[in-house]
Amino acid sequence: MWKLTIASIRAKKARFFLTAIAVTLGVAFMAGTLVLTDTIRSAYDDIAGNVYEGTDAVVRSSRSLDDDTTNTEVRGSIDAAVLDQVRAVDGVAAADAQLLGIAMIVGDDGELLEASRNRAAPAALAWQDAPALNPMDLVSGNAPRAPDEIVIDVASAEKGGFAPGDTVRVISQSGSHEYVLAGTATYGGVEDGAAQVIAFTPETAATALGDPGKYSAIQVVAADGISESELVRRIDAALGTDELEVVTGTTATTDAREAAAKGLSFVGTFLMTFALVALLVGSFVIYNTFSITVAQRTRATALLRAIGAQRKQVLRSIVAESFVTGLVASALGLLLGIGAARGLALVLEGFGMDLPAHASVIKPSTIVASLLVGTVVTVFAAYLPARKASKVAPIAAMGGAVLDRSATSVRRTVAGVLLTLLGVVALASGLSAADAGMIGIGALGVFLGITVLGPVIARPIARVLGAPLPRLRGITGSLARENAMRNPRRTASTASALMIGVGLVVFITVMAASAKTSIATSIDDAMESDWIVETAWGMGGLSPDATTRIDELPETASVTGIRYGTATIADGTTQVSAFDPSQIEANVDLDLQAGAVAGLDADGIAVRDTTATDNGWTVGDEIVVAFPETGEQRFTVEAIYATGDPFGDYSISNAAFAANVANVVDTYVMVTNADGVSMTEARTAIDAVLDEYPNASLRTEEEFKGVMANQIDEMLNLVYVLLFLAIVIAFFGIANTLALSVIERTREVGLLRAVGMQRGQLRAAVRWESVLVAMLGASLGTLIGLGFGWSLQQAFRKDIAELTVPVSQLAMILLVAAVAAVLAALLPARRAARMDVLGAMQSE
Amino acid sequence: MTATLDRTTAAHDLRLDVAARAVGATKIYGAGEASVRALDQVSVEFQTGRFTAIMGPSGSGKSTLMHTLAGLDSLTDGSVWIGDTELGRLKDKQLTKLRRDRVGFIFQAFNLVPTLSAIENIVLPMSLAGRAPDQTWVDNVVDTVGLRNRLQHRPSELSGGQQQRVAVARALASQPAIIFADEPTGNLDSRTGAEILSFMRQAVRELGQTIVMVTHDPVAASYADRAVFLADGRIVDDLDAPTADSVLDRIRTLGA
Repeated sequence: MWKLTIASIRAKKARFFLTAIAVTLGVAFMAGTLVLTDTIRSAYDDIAGNVYEGTDAVVRSSRSLDDDTTNTEVRGSIDAAVLDQVRAVDGVAAADAQLLGIAMIVGDDGELLEASRNRAAPAALAWQDAPALNPMDLVSGNAPRAPDEIVIDVASAEKGGFAPGDTVRVISQSGSHEYVLAGTATYGGVEDGAAQVIAFTPETAATALGDPGKYSAIQVVAADGISESELVRRIDAALGTDELEVVTGTTATTDAREAAAKGLSFVGTFLMTFALVALLVGSFVIYNTFSITVAQRTRATALLRAIGAQRKQVLRSIVAESFVTGLVASALGLLLGIGAARGLALVLEGFGMDLPAHASVIKPSTIVASLLVGTVVTVFAAYLPARKASKVAPIAAMGGAVLDRSATSVRRTVAGVLLTLLGVVALASGLSAADAGMIGIGALGVFLGITVLGPVIARPIARVLGAPLPRLRGITGSLARENAMRNPRRTASTASALMIGVGLVVFITVMAASAKTSIATSIDDAMESDWIVETAWGMGGLSPDATTRIDELPETASVTGIRYGTATIADGTTQVSAFDPSQIEANVDLDLQAGAVAGLDADGIAVRDTTATDNGWTVGDEIVVAFPETGEQRFTVEAIYATGDPFGDYSISNAAFAANVANVVDTYVMVTNADGVSMTEARTAIDAVLDEYPNASLRTEEEFKGVMANQIDEMLNLVYVLLFLAIVIAFFGIANTLALSVIERTREVGLLRAVGMQRGQLRAAVRWESVLVAMLGASLGTLIGLGFGWSLQQAFRKDIAELTVPVSQLAMILLVAAVAAVLAALLPARRAARMDVLGAMQSE
Repeated sequence: MTATLDRTTAAHDLRLDVAARAVGATKIYGAGEASVRALDQVSVEFQTGRFTAIMGPSGSGKSTLMHTLAGLDSLTDGSVWIGDTELGRLKDKQLTKLRRDRVGFIFQAFNLVPTLSAIENIVLPMSLAGRAPDQTWVDNVVDTVGLRNRLQHRPSELSGGQQQRVAVARALASQPAIIFADEPTGNLDSRTGAEILSFMRQAVRELGQTIVMVTHDPVAASYADRAVFLADGRIVDDLDAPTADSVLDRIRTLGA
């Protein structure tokens, strides 16, 4: 007996650990996400603070629009002459131009000094003379004075081996030019800032980062005794135009912080989605564990009820146990999450996102949210089984085990089907309305619906999946199959946890494969040129100077850049593409449906056929395009095309683009060789130009398809990494269920061993049972994932034309699940094999 | 050591008809003051083709003797043999194989694997060995215990008596060297119990099976060819062709 008591205590400890870990991991993910986003946010807050430190007023364009695709605010620029007007206002102590943009330092090896994509600080700016405004502090040398002088941050100077007086090559919108390093400085007082900073003179900055003769804004310092609001009033009165708005420094700082937060909200939502998935899966594991342990305690519960315990007391005691479990697990999760935040940052950085360095920010709200969510999820998941246990009649439970009739319950079947259908409907309406929240609710509905149906379908599916087992593994296989089928409710809810993770993995895998083939097809269909020059995303694009120089090569016949800007058309923010109308048709097939693009001058626009149909536009119609830089402009529809990639919904001429957009860079350059020029000759010639532009790469059609596929694979891998945790938790769930089942079947194990089952055979039976449960979850997940993938592809068939089912990848996912199931069975199998035969047979 | 060897060689030569035996079998549970001597120098032989009952009050050591003979428990001292195999020398794997291939079991309760049908339970030891059962023999056994129309049923669909008949059939199906039965009728009413005991006696008489049965029921013992009496871990009596009355007499004498 003593031996059994110890075994039972040890079993409970393991059970507590396994239950807790399901919550702990989910909470750790959530806490890590909160800590990471708060940390990034406060880093951006610091940067916004640095930009506007000492600023009492800001003069800026009153025209702005929110670019939904990049989650950034695009604001028009202002005339350089405004600076002198502002300086002349009484009460202005100092005023400086503000110009923020993207420029890159080229190292002596001809490569970019910093190859990251997402920057934490303005990569390039105009040097500000007023000490109160300047976020940079000189460490060596002087401020930039001559047009070809720059100051860079100390860390970059050190990395590139640059000292004042050296020549430094910098790529920007105006081209790839050599500058003289006037000095080095710190940005925001930080010696080793995470990102590269380049400061030009205001005039050079206007050319390199914006429009010559224009500034992004003007920052103003008030004279002594003048308040921010008084200063704003005076400048506003002096300028007297609606085109400009004057705001206090405080407002500008808040705006900048809000804009940064908005840009970040995507990262937060993205990570939090995966954290919630992990918690959802964790809640399944907890529900399951409590269901089993409560069922195993039915007799004890009934005894308690028989000697007079109230139903409420029984319920309370189980809920109390789950509360303690949840709280302890959440607290552990919180501690783990603080460390996990750094891990998450490393993962994101590993996938090419450059995050600003900042001490971890742990807000009280993070602590409260983590503990609350973890505990509530645990208690909620334990409540249902607890309620069921409390309903056990004192006398009924004294007999034997209650029969699990859930497999044949009509109510369950109806409820499951209804829930699944509701989920499908919500999913469909979410997809048609492009409402992410609705899509999420729909997906959750489908998962829960299938979970409710689980016990009904688990037995037949396990029978089919397990059919080969008896033939392959003999009696061991039969036992594994029968054991997986004997408690369909338990098997189903264990498998459901895995189903969710696998469903999402399959879904994202199908989407990625479909996107890859669709992109490859659209490149095949549209690309007519020999070459495409592409620039890494987020690196600012390619200076039109490079495009011009490629065009001038004798080896090239037809060249056009393709560039993108943001505008408001028909009440929506949208991307507008631009190209050289005389060259585009030689390089890209527009698949024209009506009109012609050759006549796209300063006021002609081409519209994609689907968009034209939606808006009822035909060639000759006039539409209004509002640019942040120039406001509302009238364009005439000159052509209607069908090619979605690379044009998007609207295209204008390069000339019209230059007239209405401040920042002019080419995202792509399409190049067609001159007659008789070989690919090798052309490559040598074009590469000679691009040598000065290490941010750009020359690709053939095949190479470009490879690059696009790689980008998708990278995203896919990131999502895999983030879903990994949910799947690990699900396998903890399988291990937990198996361990509890093995304990429950102690006498049976004893009997089997007595009549001659070898330890190895017993282990194999547990292992195959685990594989079968995992395959049940994985195959249901695969079906759901395929369904999701198909419906999303249908909803976005404009952009993802083909559905591709990557069979070998899906087979790999199932194989990995099977291997993981074998690992999950290791401990339960060992426990079963180690049972003392006689002790097991005599146990109650 | 030499003496032991001599003795075993002699035993091997002289007693080919012995299915199982214990030599100086001693089992001590616990240590020191609290230790209990469950078996104390027990030496006994069970002849092939005989039905032997081991009798004795609770705590007499009869179950321990059976468990050690069947390879379910180990001895503190002495040795037990199935045929000419000494169990103490076997590792778990060999011991399991021995139980599977050469021993049959009938327990008091929980004899069957609930997820397997009656026939699957009957051939379980052979399935575990990966061996095809001798179909004619199995049919013979199934008909003897009268289970022909219950073969596809799960244990939960069978009565207690039917479950025990399945257990008897399983024990017989693999034609083991010896069958150990542990209070096989303990959970049955007397009529069903008598049926099971008849089957067991029939198996010995007609099929030449060897059975060793632990029981405290004099009526059950009366089905056996021989009754061995244990008390306080020692063999205190040995009775041929026991009847319920002669067994009761012995119990009264021993109790006094």
